[in-house]
Amino acid sequence: MKHPAEVQIALFAGGDVGRWERWRVARHVARCAECQHEVQSLRDAGTQLRELSGEMPDLPNALGWNRLAQEITGNIRVGLAAGEAIALFDKPASTKPRLGWNAALLLLGATAIFAIAFWSSLPPQQAEHLLASLKRIRTERIGTVIRSGAAAPDEVVVEASATGIQVKENGRTLSLMHPRSDGATVSISMQGSAGVRFVDADTGQVTTNKVYYAEQ
Amino acid sequence: MRSSSVLLATVLALVPLNGVLSAAALPKIDFPVDSPVDLLSADYGESNETARGGALLLDFHAALSLRNATQRKIRGITLLVTAQDVTAGGKGSVTITSLDVGPQETFPVRIDLRLLRPLQASSSVPVQIGLDGVLFDDLSFYGPDKLSSRRTMTLSEWEARRDRRYFKSVLASGGPERLRQEMLESLTHEADRPSLDVQVVRGGRATNFEPEKQVQFAFLRLPDSPVEPVDGMARIAGNEARAPRLEVKNRSDRAIRYLEVGWIVHDQTGREFLAGSVPAALNLAPGQQSRIFENATLKFPQLGAQPLSIESMTGFVSSVEFADGTLWIPTRGDLGSPQLQRVMAPSDEEQRLAQIYRKKGLAALVAELNKF
Repeated sequence: MKHPAEVQIALFAGGDVGRWERWRVARHVARCAECQHEVQSLRDAGTQLRELSGEMPDLPNALGWNRLAQEITGNIRVGLAAGEAIALFDKPASTKPRLGWNAALLLLGATAIFAIAFWSSLPPQQAEHLLASLKRIRTERIGTVIRSGAAAPDEVVVEASATGIQVKENGRTLSLMHPRSDGATVSISMQGSAGVRFVDADTGQVTTNKVYYAEQ
Repeated sequence: MRSSSVLLATVLALVPLNGVLSAAALPKIDFPVDSPVDLLSADYGESNETARGGALLLDFHAALSLRNATQRKIRGITLLVTAQDVTAGGKGSVTITSLDVGPQETFPVRIDLRLLRPLQASSSVPVQIGLDGVLFDDLSFYGPDKLSSRRTMTLSEWEARRDRRYFKSVLASGGPERLRQEMLESLTHEADRPSLDVQVVRGGRATNFEPEKQVQFAFLRLPDSPVEPVDGMARIAGNEARAPRLEVKNRSDRAIRYLEVGWIVHDQTGREFLAGSVPAALNLAPGQQSRIFENATLKFPQLGAQPLSIESMTGFVSSVEFADGTLWIPTRGDLGSPQLQRVMAPSDEEQRLAQIYRKKGLAALVAELNKF
C-alpha cells in the first residue's frame, strides 16, 4: 500500500486540502492504521498547541493563533507550488530524445532475440560451418592464425562415432544412424570411408552401415 | 502492440517446425529388373523433416521388406544410398551379413538416414536407394559392386564360417557348458573393448597446429599371413595421424590384388585403440615388395574429457585378397594374441551368436549352430 506524502497527511489533518485530495487521503486513512495514527497525532499536537497558546501570556493577544496557522499553511503551499514550477522548468524541453533511446533499446533487444533464436535453431554442423567462416573472415582481416577444433570448412570429412557415421561437405551432411548399442564397432578406412557394425536388437541381423566419399 | 506482434511472429518463424515428409521427399527405391530380391513393401513410419535456421533436416526411417526371388540361399546384401543433392561425392551403404534366407523367404532391412541440406536446395528426390550386391551361399555374387561389397561380404562370410566351425568344435569337444563359457567370454570382451570417435579427412592436415613428428610403425607379425609388413611410418601431431606410408612384401606363392593393414594407436597414458585401416588395391607378385601410401588424415576428436595424444602405432595385416579371388583372414589363434585381443572386436558372426545366446539361451544357440 502506498502512503500519501507526509505533507498531504499534515494538510489533511489540518483540514487544508482540496475536496478531491481530501477524499483521496481520507479513503487511504480509513484503511491504514499507520496513517490514522499519524493524522490523530498531528491533530492532537495542533489542539495542544492551540491550548498552549491560550495559556502563554507572552504572545500578543492580537496575533491570534488561527491566523498565524493559516499564514504558515499558505506559505507551505506557495513553497510547494514554486518547487513544482522549478522542477518543470528543469525538465528537458522535449521528450523526443528519450523516445529515441527507447526505440534503439527495443531494436537492440529484438536483434538479440533474433540472433539467439537463429543460433539455437541452427543445426550443429551449420553452426560449426558459420563459426568457421566467421573465424576465417577474422583471420583474413587481422592476419592472425586462429586455431579451430573443426576441420577446414571446404574439406570433406568422414566421421564415425558411437551414434552414427557421416560424410560432411560444405555444411551439408549425410548420416547413417544406428541404435546406441554396446556392441557397435566403428571402423575407418584411410581411403575415405567410415563404418559401424552392430547386431540389430529387433531382427538379430548383423548390419554394417558405411559412408564413403569420392572415388569409392 | 503491432511491433510486438511482428517480433513474436519472427521468433515463432525461427522455432524448429516438425513435419511429416511429403511424398516427393520420400526415397526412390530402384532395383534392377533382374534383381535377385523383390521389394515387397517400404514403410517410412516416423520419417520427418525439420526446418532449422537456414537448413532442412530430413530424417528417414525406412523399414523395407525384401523377398529372395532366386532358388539359392542369400548370405548377404548391400543397398547403396545416394543423395547427390546433399553431398556431391558422398554416399552410404547398408549391408546385412550372416543371413540365411532361403528361396522365396522374406527378410527385413532397416535404413535410418539423416540428411542436412540448405533450405533452398533443389526439390528433387533427395535420396535414392539401389542394390549394390547380393552374396549367395555358394559365394557367387550379383550386382554392380560399386562399393566393393562383394569383397566386404565375402570376407564377412569367411569369418562367419571360421567362427561357426570354431564354436561347433567347442561344442563337440567341451559340450554345451564349454560353449556357454565361450559366449560369456565373448560378451565380456565386447563390453570391455575400448572404442573412440574418429574422423578421416582426405588430403592434408585437418586443423592441428602442433608440430609434426614422424613416427615409425611397430608391426604385429601374424605367423601364417601371406603378406609381411616390412617398414612403415606416419606423421603425428597431437591427436592427428596422417599420410601413412607402408612397405609390404608378398611372401606367398600367389599374386595379391588387395590387402588391408589394421592400425592400432597408443596414447600418452598407454591405452590402445584400433583406429582404422589402410586398404590398398595393388598387383603384388609372389616375393615382390611394394609401397602403400594414403594422403589422408585420421583425427581423434576427444576421449572423454581429455584430448587423445598419439604416442606410437602398431600395424598388422588384417586381410588379403589374392588375384584368383580367394581370401586370407587371420585365424582365431592369431586373433587370440594379447594385443589383438585387447583391441579387435569379435567378428560379425560371433556377435550374432552371442546375441542369440544372450536373448534366447544356450539351446537356441546350439540349434543355430546346427543349421549350418
